[in-house]
Amino acid sequence: MTTVNNDVCAGDADLSDFALRAEEWLQTAVPVEWRESRGALSGEESDAIRREWDLQLWRGGFAGIAFPKDFGGQGLGLAEDVIFHVLAAKAQAPDGFSRVGKTLVAPMVVRSGTDWQKERYLPPLLRGEELWCQGFSEPDAGSDLAGVRTRAVRDGDGYRITGRKTWTTFAQHADRIFVLAVTDPDAPRYKNLSMFLVDMRAPGVSINDIRQISGAIHFAETHFDGVFVAERDRVGNEGDGWKIAMELLGDERGGSEAAARYVEIRSDLDLLFRTCGDRPELANALQELDERTETLRWHLAKVIDLEGMGGEAFARAVSVLKVLWSELWQVVARVGFEAHVPADREHWRYQFFESKAVSIYSGTNEIQRNLISERVLGLPR
Amino acid sequence: MNVLIDTKAGEIGELASEAISDIIERATAGTSITAYAEGESPLSWNALEEGGWDLVGILDDGEGAQLRDIVAIAQVWGTRLIPLPYLETVIAKRHSEIARSWDGPVSFALPTSTLGPGKQRYVPFGQFAGLRVVTALGGDSGQLIEIPEGRPAGLDLCARGLEVDVILTDFSETAARELAVVYAASSVGAARRMLELGVTFAKERQQFGRPIGSFQAVKHHLADALIAVEEADTAVIRASRTTEGVRQTTEFVVKRCIDAAELVLQVHGALGFTWEMGLHYYLRHMLTAQEIVGGLRNCP
Ligand SMILES: Cc1cc2nc3c(=O)[nH]c(=O)nc-3n(C[C@H](O)[C@H](O)[C@H](O)COP(=O)(O)OP(=O)(O)OC[C@H]3O[C@@H](n4cnc5c(N)ncnc54)[C@H](O)[C@@H]3O)c2cc1C
Repeated sequence: MTTVNNDVCAGDADLSDFALRAEEWLQTAVPVEWRESRGALSGEESDAIRREWDLQLWRGGFAGIAFPKDFGGQGLGLAEDVIFHVLAAKAQAPDGFSRVGKTLVAPMVVRSGTDWQKERYLPPLLRGEELWCQGFSEPDAGSDLAGVRTRAVRDGDGYRITGRKTWTTFAQHADRIFVLAVTDPDAPRYKNLSMFLVDMRAPGVSINDIRQISGAIHFAETHFDGVFVAERDRVGNEGDGWKIAMELLGDERGGSEAAARYVEIRSDLDLLFRTCGDRPELANALQELDERTETLRWHLAKVIDLEGMGGEAFARAVSVLKVLWSELWQVVARVGFEAHVPADREHWRYQFFESKAVSIYSGTNEIQRNLISERVLGLPR
Repeated sequence: MNVLIDTKAGEIGELASEAISDIIERATAGTSITAYAEGESPLSWNALEEGGWDLVGILDDGEGAQLRDIVAIAQVWGTRLIPLPYLETVIAKRHSEIARSWDGPVSFALPTSTLGPGKQRYVPFGQFAGLRVVTALGGDSGQLIEIPEGRPAGLDLCARGLEVDVILTDFSETAARELAVVYAASSVGAARRMLELGVTFAKERQQFGRPIGSFQAVKHHLADALIAVEEADTAVIRASRTTEGVRQTTEFVVKRCIDAAELVLQVHGALGFTWEMGLHYYLRHMLTAQEIVGGLRNCP
């Protein structure tokens, strides 16, 4: 059994202990067939492993790492969360399906949910037993999220939801979906929306798979045809939907995804150095990518250091994180593809296609730049 | 694969950079860099010396300011580029006993990437009265000499530099590495200041009946400038905390600072292209830093 590189934790004993525990657990927990022959698994086999992984995380004590203890989390911090993501990516752990629930639903319910919602939804979510997906985007409302048209109409002690959501990641696996819908069509923009927690198996919910450019199927269109949702499943008050959605988008752009991505980028770049490190025409490009990749790692560390202090420095550092990693990965994938290494052909084809998504989801990089300039630099709208 | 590295400056760096920030903010309050870039310094050398700020980099048995701390100070210094040989003196006194024995400012003669492989060297603040040049940084040898004859260096005007035809200063590996990091750090400060000026300008300048900062093309230029400044800031912190590949990293830092500077110039329109507006003083500092970092790459 190897031990964790001491540098991981910059001498912090608690963090070192945590990292050691996580690394040991990962070594036995990650399924061998996933680690060694992921490419040969069928879709069902691969889904089954990812599904099981969510349950394993809970049993191992690594579900909801930075989530408060009161609500069943581990009560640790961003630092531990990032460490775990790095070590998991390094150990080639599967990516479970519970990610949407843990990173988006859980913080939302803690912030804006009722006691009933906390009790009902948080435990199964953290245990990996109930999977969630996100019902925000619609055919006519992408970047302009406030333009959603899905309607929630009062009906007795609840609402009836009708409309069409799209690009719903993990819809195929999810038990529940959180939906941004119009409750008051006469109210002004941003005041007309509410947030609902909806059962994917309720009568009237149906999905159509959508195939992605890489060939994989990870998202779907989700239809709602008069789906009943009880009032107790509304998060916040009527009209609070936009505010809640905005807070949630902040969670989406955080550090743990960047950490996992760093590991992926580093490993892609190492592959390039191994296979093309001796090509003079690539020397400058690889050197610059190396600088950018290591700077990303340090940037993440900087974000963690600044988090405690808050303020302007933190806001600046965290605001550029997604643009930094997403655009870096796209360049690495492009250089990798264009290097035309026969042995790695399939890998780079897949990475190239997959990398195209990262500047689109969680707010496109153009929208990120709008946010940076308006919210961080304070430029006029 | 380590992720959690300590990126913060130590207590010395925090205290000193805040104090230096106060001093230079007070000295330059209400004035633009044009007021002093080629004119009289708004701050006297004595003010820095009396506070002991020229000695802030001194190491005593390994105790004292780390390079990360000096980076914090250099970043602050770079935001105003007051024409005093402050950073040079800090580094000289850090790496030379004989420099410490002299009360006044001390500089050195640097190789740069545009001077070529001959004997020409660049002395930052070589035109500064009362300056001494140290002949060795790092190690126990070296002396202090008066500034030799030379030609005024034209790029970084705030640095009052001189080009000379003798080698003059030898650098240890550590001193050369630290110098590259310090000039990269002051460039980050300069880039941050330019971004600040760009944002202020974009909020004030009106065209088509609205502030230009409300146009998305302008917003994205400034967002990209922030991305570059953030990346440069992180990379220079990294450079100060490692010993491998540092010169390559510092080249990356300065390049990202210049990226930001170019965007800010564009946002200013023709005004940014004028001498009077003074943005070029910051850019000149970065371009000189790029030459210095490039020159130090093959040093010693
Ligand atoms: C892999 C993947 C997974 C996803 N998963 C989910 C999910 O689970 N749930 C969910 O709800 N959504 C999901 N999405 C949808 C995602 O949130 C949207 O794709 C995204 O918000 C952009 O919307 P759009 O695709 O309609 O593009 P559009 O908004 O139509 O944008 C098209 C282009 O115009 C640009 N543009 C639009 N508005 C502006 C503006 N104001 N300023 C400058 N440029 C602008 C965009 O940047 C983009 O380049 C996913 C998307 C992808 C790719």
